[in-house]
Amino acid sequence: MTDSPVRPTSEVPVALELNGEHVRATIPAHRTLLDMLRDDLGLCGTKRCCAEGECGACSVLLDGELVNSCLVLGAEADGGALLTIEGVSMDGVTDLQEEFLAAGAVQCGVCIPGQVMAAEQLLQTNPNASRNEIRDAMSGNLCRCASYQRIVEAIQNAAAGRRTDA
Amino acid sequence: MASYCRPRTVSEVLTALAGAEGHGRILVGGTDLLVHLRKDPFAPTVIVDIKSVSDFPPAVEIGDDVVRFGPTARMAEISSDPFIADHLPALCASARVVGSIAIRNRATLIGNICNGSPAADTAPALLVYGSSVTVTGPGGERTMPLVDFFVGPGQTRCGPDEIVIRVDVPIPDRGHRSAFQRLTRRRGVDLATVSVAAGVDADGGIVLGLGCVGPTPLLTDASPPVDLNDPDAIEGAVEELVSIATPISDVRAARDYREAMVRVLAVRAVQAAAAPLEGMSS
Amino acid sequence: MPDENQGPSSNGQIAGPNRVVGQRVHRYGGVDRVTGAQRYLSDITFTDAAHVAFATVPVGCAAIDAIDTSPAVAMPGVIAVVHADDLPQPVARFGISHKDRPVIATKAVNYHGEPVVAVVAETEDEARAAANAVVIHYTELTGVYGLDAALAGDARLVQDPSVRPGDDLNSTNVLEQVEYAWGDADSEGASSHTIIEDTYMFPMVTHFPIEPGGIVAVPTDDGGIEVYSPVQHPYLLQRTIAEVWSIPLSRVRVIAPDPGGGFGGKQTPRYEPLIAFLALKTGRTCRLVLSLEEAFQMMRRSGCRIHARTGFTEAGELTFHEMQVDFVVGAYADVAPRVMTKGSYVGAGPYRIPRVSINARAVLTNTVPSCAFRGFGAPQVGWATESQLDAGARALGLDSLEMRRRNLVQHDEAFIRGDYEARADGRWHESLEKAAELIGWHEPTPSGRGRGISVGIKPGATTGLSQSMVRLLYDGSAMAYAGTSDMGQGARTLWKQILADELGVDLDLITIISGDTNAVPFDLQTSASRSTVFMGNAVLAACEDIRDRVLELYAEATETAQSELSHAPGQLVTPSGAISLVEAAQTALGGLRGEFVGQGTSRLWGTKGHPLGGDASFYEFNATAIEVEVDRVTGEILLTKHVTVGDVGTEINPLQVVSQDEGAAIMGLGHSLMEQMLFDEHGQILNLGAIDYRIPTFNDVALEMQTASVENHDGPGPYGCKGISEGALLCTAGAVGAAVADAIGTPVRDLPITAERVWRTIRDANCDSPD
Ligand SMILES: Cc1cc2nc3c(=O)[nH]c(=O)nc-3n(C[C@H](O)[C@H](O)[C@H](O)COP(=O)(O)OP(=O)(O)OC[C@H]3O[C@@H](n4cnc5c(N)ncnc54)[C@H](O)[C@@H]3O)c2cc1C
Ligand code: FES
Ligand code: FES
Repeated sequence: MTDSPVRPTSEVPVALELNGEHVRATIPAHRTLLDMLRDDLGLCGTKRCCAEGECGACSVLLDGELVNSCLVLGAEADGGALLTIEGVSMDGVTDLQEEFLAAGAVQCGVCIPGQVMAAEQLLQTNPNASRNEIRDAMSGNLCRCASYQRIVEAIQNAAAGRRTDA
Repeated sequence: MASYCRPRTVSEVLTALAGAEGHGRILVGGTDLLVHLRKDPFAPTVIVDIKSVSDFPPAVEIGDDVVRFGPTARMAEISSDPFIADHLPALCASARVVGSIAIRNRATLIGNICNGSPAADTAPALLVYGSSVTVTGPGGERTMPLVDFFVGPGQTRCGPDEIVIRVDVPIPDRGHRSAFQRLTRRRGVDLATVSVAAGVDADGGIVLGLGCVGPTPLLTDASPPVDLNDPDAIEGAVEELVSIATPISDVRAARDYREAMVRVLAVRAVQAAAAPLEGMSS
Repeated sequence: MPDENQGPSSNGQIAGPNRVVGQRVHRYGGVDRVTGAQRYLSDITFTDAAHVAFATVPVGCAAIDAIDTSPAVAMPGVIAVVHADDLPQPVARFGISHKDRPVIATKAVNYHGEPVVAVVAETEDEARAAANAVVIHYTELTGVYGLDAALAGDARLVQDPSVRPGDDLNSTNVLEQVEYAWGDADSEGASSHTIIEDTYMFPMVTHFPIEPGGIVAVPTDDGGIEVYSPVQHPYLLQRTIAEVWSIPLSRVRVIAPDPGGGFGGKQTPRYEPLIAFLALKTGRTCRLVLSLEEAFQMMRRSGCRIHARTGFTEAGELTFHEMQVDFVVGAYADVAPRVMTKGSYVGAGPYRIPRVSINARAVLTNTVPSCAFRGFGAPQVGWATESQLDAGARALGLDSLEMRRRNLVQHDEAFIRGDYEARADGRWHESLEKAAELIGWHEPTPSGRGRGISVGIKPGATTGLSQSMVRLLYDGSAMAYAGTSDMGQGARTLWKQILADELGVDLDLITIISGDTNAVPFDLQTSASRSTVFMGNAVLAACEDIRDRVLELYAEATETAQSELSHAPGQLVTPSGAISLVEAAQTALGGLRGEFVGQGTSRLWGTKGHPLGGDASFYEFNATAIEVEVDRVTGEILLTKHVTVGDVGTEINPLQVVSQDEGAAIMGLGHSLMEQMLFDEHGQILNLGAIDYRIPTFNDVALEMQTASVENHDGPGPYGCKGISEGALLCTAGAVGAAVADAIGTPVRDLPITAERVWRTIRDANCDSPD
């Protein structure tokens, strides 16, 4: 950050750990983390739809927590650790992603990266989630193709798989 | 063009706000502020990100008589705190329904009330518990009851060069019970059409906090003691109390529906508060 | 990977060695979609692209008095600021049935959100900031925002008569009208025991694709243009650009990245001619990425008001059905006239009705132009017809399943009579019975709950042309070229399955090329759930063409008489036994290698004079049953069960059938329970954006949901399949409405059935009742 934290700047330098790598960018103050990822850092796996926190297409994990990247400024991510769908998929398709495919959860697919991020966080925080808990926890992620039943099935199967692996 | 800063102390926050000449906006969770910024991205807003301030009160501090919330207390923490679930169940329940998990991971309690929306979900519960708000600014520190903090839609008693430094929620007596009810247009994540928090004290006196039925969240007077086993008595008391509601018609609902629903939810909230007396730990 | 279980019977086709048709093959392109690697339009990078933003006015109807672009022109990064006066005059208009939509708003704004000024700048921020700085001086006019206003005698005309020269209706706001009638009005009077008459409303709803969309236009060195747009009909877009800007088709290349959700909303060109103009004018690649709000202002389903009068015998047999159907189509025609004619053609439902009379109108208003949307007019009209049947059942004390049993046509029985009759092409009673069985219709309804059952039909495509090319390469891999856009229905997965079986090629070795007019042969459109049937048949034919060619060349190479050879899926049968087609192909191609190229065409000629242009190639039929619990005090509805059964012919990929059916069924809950675009008195959209326009979430799905298919292998597509993917949405509203009426004792006639409407209905019923 700048040496005088009280002096506001319209161009903000940002340094963060992105999917395990250190990256830097200088961005306008109003630029969201979502736009920074897509436009400045060239990572387009995180999708934009509503741009106001309603759809979850832009879900990422910031310091291990699920957030809507359209509601976080790029500047706020300075010093943080960010995991995006590209990071999740770094070593190929994960068990969870495989279950998405097997359950027929992928229609147009544009909401899916966000769904995967939200589901991944859910599996980590509540590995034994019931069907209703899954539905509730995932309700911030819209799918207009309405793959909802398929996604619930995929999460349940992935959770079951992780339990037997554990 | 917007600009951004990240002060480390409360006094730096005040300096930044003072320097912004009315354009300063405090940023915590950003779940309201970024929605506003998106509508007007090129205004000369000075964004004052307070998440790195080191001399705030802790996010959640449980004292003997009060639970104190600092500016960084988030819905996620509040809704999963066992002490709050036990002693401030209406607050816990309302924090749990704010937005989605991703929203609750960012959204703060103080942000919720500072945004000044009549629909702020945590406001009715905070009102019912008799919470107070402490504001700090160039003129020093002031503490006021939350009910006085709200002025109108989007307007509070926190000036453009001030910051809300804490919210204190008195821990109710053992015999006090409370509950939260809200009505939405769909079952998944939604803003409230009407919300009600009810507090019932040991004698059966009822206090209600009402959301979305006035220009600000509303707090009713306390009713005289009511026989909580008598549904008609509850209904009668509620009818009196909710007469302060002045709902309007908007895109979420028409006025008459809100008028009817505030009564329904209030009765249900009182009944829910009254119900689980036996076997409860508090 | 396909899983182990065997697919359904092959309807007389010989099973090839790798029989994958009928199996749960994973979606083609699925891996890219789960890993975020799939490139939707806004994910594609263009070097040196300039960005476009629009400016407009905050009302639905206005005269543009003057435009001051100077503050915008002076802003950093601005390349061009363009409005109607900057275009070749007169400003071109385009459209499918009516050439009524101007390239950019010309002298007037006809709906909230119509672009008036386009700014081109170096960055997105600069374009937006400059668009904000443009000053548009306008005079608000009294727009017509609802049906009554539009149809009033002195109503302002949404379109100047000069836009529709020679049209008898051009001095009214009726864009088109149609009448369907059969039967003799005098004959049924005595036989009707009960007559039901009511009015029903279906809301304007928007597609809300999670990819709002966008357009990129790249000027080419030869004076042509490349247009990137996630359109469902690339060839229609190519033709539109060529016609509007007088460029030969050969120099207009349309590249259509897979849409991130289409649902009918991404079929027709809207802003593409404008973006193409900006690119040609500035010589720069011009990129427009839409916000969700802009998508709302670009696509919606037409709202509808239906007045219906229906007669029943005492036994519940329909005697007549009359409807006045008014579609609220918006400011420009788009495909709305066809939505109106097609939706009302099947308006009387799949029933045996001696007399029907349907008058339908497409009515212009100062609102977002409506377009195709899953179901294409059938859900709107079906809502009224299904509700009328239930009202009849209630009046007669009949069970609503029984009501449908008595009236639903049998296989091959006419449900549309008169000059252009249509007969049931499926055994629809089977779907109805299955839906009833799955919801447990014969078990008592738990107290506090209500149940409804409903059916819907929709005509499939009535004319069509799909062309496909398939290449079988020397190493045993294969490629198919098919213009169908893959917006979520997973079309390419099906082509892969067909190739795998017909050519005996491994699924992993198949590539599908689509979405580029320079590479892929002509396909009329991706709509009306036509692709599996039309393009499927074309792909199948191309595979057969390859097998013929392999046979011929194999005969030549091995000096075998052609008459001693035959082929079957995946195989060449030689005098010494069957060998794999790939092996045969390699032998035939010999040392020079090379490849086989097959062509397939699937064409459906229309019928002259037919109101739809021709007979439907198939009907999508669905039965939906729903159980709800209603909070009678707040009006809130909890869906406890939701069952849909589709008459699919054959499931080529059961996994995709389930996804499509569930998806359509849940989408149908949107207009049934919560979705509606709301306008204020200035024609502004009140719930513009995701915060107040509600669509179903995970939590809004029924507690129990089940979809099922009836497979009689009786469709016109490959292996006896029919089109699917709209069916499960056709009668959702009818079933929800019936279930709510069953629970509260009174019907709700206006969609969406919000808690507030249920509350109001109960309250009004209590006021009306004598006690
Ligand atoms: C998708 C979505 C769903 C939502 N659902 C709900 C819901 O169900 N119920 C509900 O009540 N709300 C909801 N909200 C609104 C929002 O999440 C809450 O109001 C939230 O609590 C705001 O907190 P924040 O930390 O994000 O505030 P910010 O956006 O950071 O700030 C909000 C406002 O308060 C001011 N402010 C913040 N902190 C201080 C301070 N310490 N002193 C002075 N001023 C301050 C800011 O300047 C700003 O004006 C939703 C929002 C979104 C985007
Ligand atoms: S784009 Fe961020 S939540 Fe919709
Ligand atoms: S798969 Fe299309 S939006 Fe979810």
